[in-house]
Amino acid sequence: MTAVEARTVIELDRVDRYFGAHPAVLDLSFRVMEGEIVALLGRTGAGKSTALHMIMGVLEPTRGTVRVEGLDPYAQFKELRGRLSVSFQNDRLLPWRAAWENVALGLEILGFDKETQRSRAIEWLENVKIVGEENVRKYPHELSGGMRQRVSLARALCVDPALVLLDESFSQLDHVTSKALRSDFTELVRRLGKTCVLITHRIDDALEMADRILVLAAPAKLALEVRVTADRRADAAWLETQHAAIAAAMGGEDETEAA
Amino acid sequence: MSTRIDPETAAGLEPPAPAGAERNYFKRDLFASIVIIALIAFAMEAWSWVAPVYIMPSVVLTGDEILTILGEDYIHIVTTILRLLFAVAFSLVVGSLIGVVMGIVRPAEPFIKALVVIFTGVPALSWMLFAIFWFRGTEERVFFILAVILIPFYALNVYDGIKALSTDLIEVVETFRPSRWQVFRLLILPHIVPYVLMTTKSIIGYAARMTAFAELVSVNTGMGARMGLAQDELNMQGVIGWTILLVIVNLGVQAIVAWAEKRLLKWRPEVSVR
Ligand SMILES: Nc1ncnc2c1ncn2[C@@H]1O[C@H](COP(=O)(O)OP(=O)(O)O)[C@@H](O)[C@H]1O
Ligand SMILES: [Mg+2]
Repeated sequence: MTAVEARTVIELDRVDRYFGAHPAVLDLSFRVMEGEIVALLGRTGAGKSTALHMIMGVLEPTRGTVRVEGLDPYAQFKELRGRLSVSFQNDRLLPWRAAWENVALGLEILGFDKETQRSRAIEWLENVKIVGEENVRKYPHELSGGMRQRVSLARALCVDPALVLLDESFSQLDHVTSKALRSDFTELVRRLGKTCVLITHRIDDALEMADRILVLAAPAKLALEVRVTADRRADAAWLETQHAAIAAAMGGEDETEAA
Repeated sequence: MSTRIDPETAAGLEPPAPAGAERNYFKRDLFASIVIIALIAFAMEAWSWVAPVYIMPSVVLTGDEILTILGEDYIHIVTTILRLLFAVAFSLVVGSLIGVVMGIVRPAEPFIKALVVIFTGVPALSWMLFAIFWFRGTEERVFFILAVILIPFYALNVYDGIKALSTDLIEVVETFRPSRWQVFRLLILPHIVPYVLMTTKSIIGYAARMTAFAELVSVNTGMGARMGLAQDELNMQGVIGWTILLVIVNLGVQAIVAWAEKRLLKWRPEVSVR
């Protein structure tokens, strides 16, 4: 990849965010290029979600600038309609909507007709391996936790956004479910060439999924940057060294539940 | 790809609830109801043998009276049902809107809440008397009484519903950058449906009785008014006949609400398990 040619999708420039006198994010600068999968890695409370909220445009930086596709996501909130979507740690499905209707939520907001909504939603459910009329029509309470999270990811992808943001989307699932979902998701995002920022507090998840890892130490300050390639991912010795270096930069490995 | 369904998908497939279960309950309940109705009818009949007709008329006499009502006075039944349904529908819409405004427009909340709480404290009988002073038309009187009593119930319950709306859901809908109207239609409206239905379910019986009472006190048409007339004429079989019809109307509207609840809340685990 030639960095010169790639388009910048996200740019943070010396961003601070305070809550009262308490800094959650300090002097954070980074770029994310088109088609990249970037992990923001840090301990709970490091300020990852705060950084993500600023990229989403729901939180204003105290200082510095945030740009998404060249726009200010906070001031130009509506202009980014359909350009980015988010999946969270918990599935946040609307309980009164069947699986496909949840997936179609973004399309409905963007004004697509019912027919398109339904066919696209079903297509995206298929992409996250939920198939069959009876599953597509299930309500959230009739689905397992893993399936709900799959629906939630399909909902984020269904509007065909340029940018997908994930805040600990795999952290609340059991080991096996989480692993299957992580590899399915990474494969899908790579195939589609989507730009993706994923937040995690788990070093192994970041090493497994991301092209680039930004390690944040509280309050969110860039402590280390690691580039991951397919070759490196296959190299056990490299992974081990990096794991140790990242843990040191984070200020110790974090095994608590994410927040 | 031959095996697209993974174990997780398969694990999500639960067997459908046995379809027979509900019908068995229905049969059992129906049987019990018939037994109780027969016992009441028998007790009334036995009493009528020893009591004068203005204390307790016989079952046959009462049955005759009901048939007469259905043949000649049915317009009063229709009137009462329409008054009830119209007032409930109006209160539902207005009360829910007030509840939504209370929940969304934060500065308005304490004021509207105080108003609603004070209104709920006013006895129904006072509203009935006010209505007689304030309104000449009979429809206005009944409508006012019902609306003023029912609106606070909807407002308070829907307000509670709005407060219970999770910020997680608001945030996820907001990620798609909807218009305000879309937030209302896609998030708030479906979210308050259960609260509106629960409120309707809990007030509908009360509202039906209140309609009859309001008619008795303030107007001369409708089931309540005819019941009052029968009482004036010392027509005990008339009073009992109208009472039985009121019970039937009451159960009928409750059944309609229960049906609506089942249809509209099929996404809720609580309802589908019942
Ligand atoms: N809305 C808020 N108000 C006050 N403090 C907050 C708020 N959101 C986050 N914080 C604080 O900012 C810090 C970073 O939080 P967060 O971004 O959620 O971390 P992470 O997602 O990395 O676990 C924490 O100390 C947290 O208490
Ligand atoms: Mg977080």
